[in-house]
Amino acid sequence: MNQVLVTGLNGLSYAFILFLVAAGFSLTFGVMGVLNLAHGALFMLGAYIGLAVVGRLDAFWFGVVVAGLGLAAIGFALYYFFLRHLYNHPPEQGVLTIGIALVVANIVLWIWGPFAQMGLTPPRLTGVIHVGDLAFPIYRVFIVGVGLVVLGVLWWMQDKTRWGAIIRAGMDNKDMTVSLGINYGLVSTLVFVFGIALAGAAGFLGTPILGAYPSMGDNLLLLTLVVVIVGGTGYIQGTMLGALIIGVLDTFGKAYFPSAALFTSYVIFVIVLLVRPSGLIGRKVF
Amino acid sequence: MDEPKGDTIVGEAANEPTTESVPGDAQVAQGQAAAPVKRARGSLLRAVLPIIILGVVLLVLPTFIPSFLQSLVTKMMIFSIFAMSMNILWGYANIPTFGHAVFFGAGGYAAGILIFHAGISNFWLNLVLAVLFAAAVAALLGFPAFRVYGVGAGNTNPIYFLLVTLAFGEIAARVAIWARSLTGGSTGMAGIPYPDLGMGLKMTPSRYYYLVFIFAVVCIYLMYRIENSHYGYGLRGIHDNERRMQALGYNTWLYKYTSWVIAGAFGGVAGVLFAYFGGVMTPNSLAMQTSEIGFMAVILGGATLFAGPIVGVVLYVGIEYLASLYLPDRWPLILGAMFVAVIMLMRQGLGPMLVDVWRRLIRGSS
Amino acid sequence: MALLKAQGLSVHFGGLAAVKDVTFGVEPGERVAMIGPNGAGKTTLFNLLTGQLKPSTGKVFFKGKDITNHSVFSRTHLGMARSFQITSLFPNETVLVNVLISRQGTQKRRYGIVGYLRKDKALHGEAQRLLESVDMWDLRDEIVSSLAYGRQRQLEMALCLASEPELLMLDEPSCGLTTTESADITARIRDLGSKITVFMIAHDMDLVFGVAQRILLLHYGEIVAEGTPDEIASNETAREIYMGAHKHRRADA
Repeated sequence: MNQVLVTGLNGLSYAFILFLVAAGFSLTFGVMGVLNLAHGALFMLGAYIGLAVVGRLDAFWFGVVVAGLGLAAIGFALYYFFLRHLYNHPPEQGVLTIGIALVVANIVLWIWGPFAQMGLTPPRLTGVIHVGDLAFPIYRVFIVGVGLVVLGVLWWMQDKTRWGAIIRAGMDNKDMTVSLGINYGLVSTLVFVFGIALAGAAGFLGTPILGAYPSMGDNLLLLTLVVVIVGGTGYIQGTMLGALIIGVLDTFGKAYFPSAALFTSYVIFVIVLLVRPSGLIGRKVF
Repeated sequence: MDEPKGDTIVGEAANEPTTESVPGDAQVAQGQAAAPVKRARGSLLRAVLPIIILGVVLLVLPTFIPSFLQSLVTKMMIFSIFAMSMNILWGYANIPTFGHAVFFGAGGYAAGILIFHAGISNFWLNLVLAVLFAAAVAALLGFPAFRVYGVGAGNTNPIYFLLVTLAFGEIAARVAIWARSLTGGSTGMAGIPYPDLGMGLKMTPSRYYYLVFIFAVVCIYLMYRIENSHYGYGLRGIHDNERRMQALGYNTWLYKYTSWVIAGAFGGVAGVLFAYFGGVMTPNSLAMQTSEIGFMAVILGGATLFAGPIVGVVLYVGIEYLASLYLPDRWPLILGAMFVAVIMLMRQGLGPMLVDVWRRLIRGSS
Repeated sequence: MALLKAQGLSVHFGGLAAVKDVTFGVEPGERVAMIGPNGAGKTTLFNLLTGQLKPSTGKVFFKGKDITNHSVFSRTHLGMARSFQITSLFPNETVLVNVLISRQGTQKRRYGIVGYLRKDKALHGEAQRLLESVDMWDLRDEIVSSLAYGRQRQLEMALCLASEPELLMLDEPSCGLTTTESADITARIRDLGSKITVFMIAHDMDLVFGVAQRILLLHYGEIVAEGTPDEIASNETAREIYMGAHKHRRADA
């Protein structure tokens, strides 16, 4: 029983990392209809950049900031120079961003080499909390906390603010939204940049748990896709649900049924596709 | 061309401008479809001539070039089959997919597994079974895949389909890694011997070159027949305007599904030939790394031309080889940069450019 | 027996009933027009009849058969054909190819992978007859996207006739046409003969009164009047709706 709770926390923290990276993807994909397959690679880049900063300056929080802002800048460049010109051409967007992902991954390999790096938790967040007999790593609790805050903010923005309303309107009918005088281009750019920044920050925040290694981009991309398709797009709750299901099931699977662990996520993926293609909590697209 | 001369306009919509920008169907005109499929005009000979020349060149090539080049050309021919099969989907049926390598890998792995685990050493039997397996995989994956694509699925949303096919490829690779006893795990399956044609002939790289050549010719010819058949025109119609096709009586889901399976079968053929070629099958042959060759070729060479993907394959394999000589660790970077460059600069692909050059050559000095 | 019958058709989008309990029939050989102000639900009802939309309640019958759950393409095989308000052709193909593709839509040969479509003499002959019937045979090698709008509308009509339908469903056939072109379409519809039944949505009153034997007036998703052109022309409700008194109606209903 005790082990279950610990595994549960592991699964939850993993789920929240997935949520942070998938939220960015879900926003750009759901909001703008942009297919950014470099998302995983950018998450990875955030991890590496953050680690490099921490390596130099020994300041964890600075690493988060640099990872987030740095990726925001890269995200902006990606949108402004490339994706902006490919509106409504998803296959081309896909191919282009795959190209970017390849470039990024190779550059990471070039600079930092093929061996995995481990992230280090900042001193204040190291160690465990004791609850009864159990020891919960503080950092994992922290990640859950951060995830909840981000979820809360995004959910509130989605439902209660004008920004959220604009974005939802844009998802339904972009032309109409634009014709109402809303600068949807600006909104799109901001959403995209935010999504990438979130992924970058999440990349670094995740390093104490996931580490950093050159093929991380591909893995995270696949996980992101599965999360987004299972959970559905258009609602942040959907992304959270998808991340929870995949994250928790994957972790429990690895802990208790290692040989079959691989498949739980994929089986769910196929089932959801067959039964509810729009995702569990998604805007009814199909 | 008729033009209304100052008559009063009746009806709700304003009269559309009569320049080339007259949209057929508003949705289609919004650019959701891939580039238009143009047909080469002009005499049959002019169209067929480059292919004949290519064929002749390929036939005599082995006598002139060193064996490593011959091997490279064999690889180009194998991937031409792969890329052309992908173009049935990308260029004709308007089903862009990022997971075509699943069928390639399925065919190749099946061939290997049949040799090592089922003791089937006859090439022809092996080929048929492996291709059937690839087609079966396509048939199975088609159901979940087409749940998220097409007018019948509620909304034409290629992004979802692209994501799903990409996921299929990655998942397939991971399955191959997991099924270690069958597939050799992450290092893959090695030691696939040269095919035994059962005719008492010993296979050499040269002979294999010609075997692949024959397959390439046959497959591409078959694809040409299919793409220009009644069924093929049905696919083109769906490419341009699926809603209209349904209204005309076409079961568009069935068309797309069958084109998916057909493309998968041809992809499987390429996979089998590849397995025998290198003797090795790795999980990468199922994943994006191999699908990339396909859509890179389709985009580089141009999806609008029948033989465009072949141009793309030649370029891809060529540049990959050069990179392996001079900048081996940087190949993914070069490839990625190529993707970006092609998309941003040459979206129509090189194929149409080459056609222009060819036409100018044919017209001679006049 | 009515060729086409709608029975209690309703469809809801969220809380809004776009079509409310619509019942009517179309007899073989009839020419029926559906009119109504913008937003009355004409296109929605049209899509319910042709299968692009499934009703929340109610049924659709064609030749006595319940086709409510039939797919769009299955209805075409049964003998129904529809046109689109926004011209829906194959813009990157020639006129001839457009017609060839349309013609084989209800024929078994459309699944053939053995022969070349362009060498199918029989199909080409049928296509030629179809194009000649709309005077477009000379334009057969023109790419559709380069045609004038009026010509595209004509081609649209030709494509609908390609399946030799018993029931022709026309969605604003004269949409965007000049008065001359409109008159041409009106004449063509009139000349279709008694073997083809026509049901159309139209805004163009010349077309409606020139062709229709019976008119249905749709308002806020319900049929509020039905009758011959003369009856509708003198109908109180029709006048109110078209003269703008319908705001008051809304409060009464």
